[in-house]
Amino acid sequence: MKRGLRIQNLGGARAVILHRPHATVAALTRQLTAIGLVVEQVWPDLGAEALAADFVFFDADTGHDAQFPWGPGESPIPMIALIGSEAPGRIEWSLQLGAHAQMLKPVGDNGAYSALLIARAAFDAQRELSAEIAELRRRLDERRTVVQAVMKLAARGKSEAEAYAQLRKMAMAWRISFEEAAARILGGDGGADDRRNRG
Amino acid sequence: MRRRIEIGLLYSRSGSYALISEACRTGALAAIAAVNADPEMDLSLVPVERDPGGNVDLYAPLCDEILRQTAARHVVGCVTSWSRKEVIPTLENAGGTLWYAVPYEGFEASDHVVYTHACPNQHLLPLLDWVFPAYGRRAFLSGSNYIWGWEMNRLARETIVTAGGQVLGERYLPIGTRDVGRMIEEIRATAPDFILNSLIGPSSYAFLAAYRDLGRTDARFTPGACPVLSCNMTECEMPAMGDESEGLIAAGPYFRGAKTGWAGAGKFGSSHEAAAFAAVRELARLLNGRPGAELEPLAKLLGHGAGGIIDRQTHHTTLPVLIAQVRNGRFVVVESQAAVAGDPYLTHPRVEARAPGLRVVS
Repeated sequence: MKRGLRIQNLGGARAVILHRPHATVAALTRQLTAIGLVVEQVWPDLGAEALAADFVFFDADTGHDAQFPWGPGESPIPMIALIGSEAPGRIEWSLQLGAHAQMLKPVGDNGAYSALLIARAAFDAQRELSAEIAELRRRLDERRTVVQAVMKLAARGKSEAEAYAQLRKMAMAWRISFEEAAARILGGDGGADDRRNRG
Repeated sequence: MRRRIEIGLLYSRSGSYALISEACRTGALAAIAAVNADPEMDLSLVPVERDPGGNVDLYAPLCDEILRQTAARHVVGCVTSWSRKEVIPTLENAGGTLWYAVPYEGFEASDHVVYTHACPNQHLLPLLDWVFPAYGRRAFLSGSNYIWGWEMNRLARETIVTAGGQVLGERYLPIGTRDVGRMIEEIRATAPDFILNSLIGPSSYAFLAAYRDLGRTDARFTPGACPVLSCNMTECEMPAMGDESEGLIAAGPYFRGAKTGWAGAGKFGSSHEAAAFAAVRELARLLNGRPGAELEPLAKLLGHGAGGIIDRQTHHTTLPVLIAQVRNGRFVVVESQAAVAGDPYLTHPRVEARAPGLRVVS
């Protein structure tokens, strides 16, 4: 079954609006408050309040990287672009910054709720994908480590199968994983460094 | 000399949901009459009517006509969510307000709409809370193919699954169809503990009739064994259903004869009528003694009206929660819970609803 949206989680959630005082901020605040969020408006920089926030709405028209306490694409929470000018350069910047959803200005009577849900879902999906890619990458790298360790053992006159069996025995004796044993054979904690050298 | 204030009425007096429109219209007109006869009021309300005739594409133009061609800034009207969504941009443009007196699926809090009937934390969720221990948690979900059916069943599924229950089937029918055979077959095959009926109009009537027939030949499908639940059925549709509604269980803020104090002490034909009545009375209360207030946008108007029934953030109202069953042709209240504030986005914890309410033994 498809995963449902966790709508109940929005109650008491905190939203920060990074935008100069404006009618759009008032309209957006009204919408978010009606939905049940706690809203704070900040300008010109996103400071410590971002640490306690669950969502950031940011001005895509006059925004720039230095306003944010994190680097482009590294936001720890969902971000929603408030787009007035649909100039490609501004949209590109919003995307590079890591917008998970957008609302068009002027913000009126609606649109905040779907932006929240879409941003949250896109953020979760992105984070899940990143974690999955990191895990696959790690396993891919470890496979290289295992191959290298088997080759190192085989270089001492063993067949490939014997070297493989020996590695398995060592892992069991050391009570560590097969991959960790391979890394140890390649030299202490060198497994990771080794990966990086060959990365 | 009383102020003369025009007020729009936008109800379809023909078409598939005309019974509901008529109930709302009756309530609104009764409130207008009551306001006009009230010596405490410094105003007289003058209805300006437009009839979209059940055609969803006529709502926005007719609402626009009311707001542009008359002095009315407040419109009482709309039955379906679809028509309500159609008029909101018009209201925004003209600075008007819609007073909406029909139960709906929630997830809206327009700056230009007041919602005086129930949303899911006031109908569906208490109804499911009540039905689980009484009948079980294995459900069949039915609905018409549009937002009301889809969203009600989505929320029901989430609630049922979270409670450890099961959804045995979910089936939608095109609006207006009376072809319910396959749905009845699926219910017979899956034998649920209850059926949530989010069908509307003729489909709903046809379904109730066919299900009643099924119950006559198979005891698993009598109201006592597997009831049909509804969150939008009221007395106003009884003339179209006849005996077929016998045993139906519905949630709502009012059933005929109930004394909850909501919408005043009036005797209403249905909660639709009561909700429209409450809407117009509240509007009049907000305008009374404040010349020019009828031109103010809703947010400003609410800012002056301390002690009113409308939540300033969500524009929803606090409503009693009643659960009633059709017995011998009339709704009999079987459960009465404390009044609950409308929570359209379901973002507030449901403490009120879980508090023990008054149980009516009948």
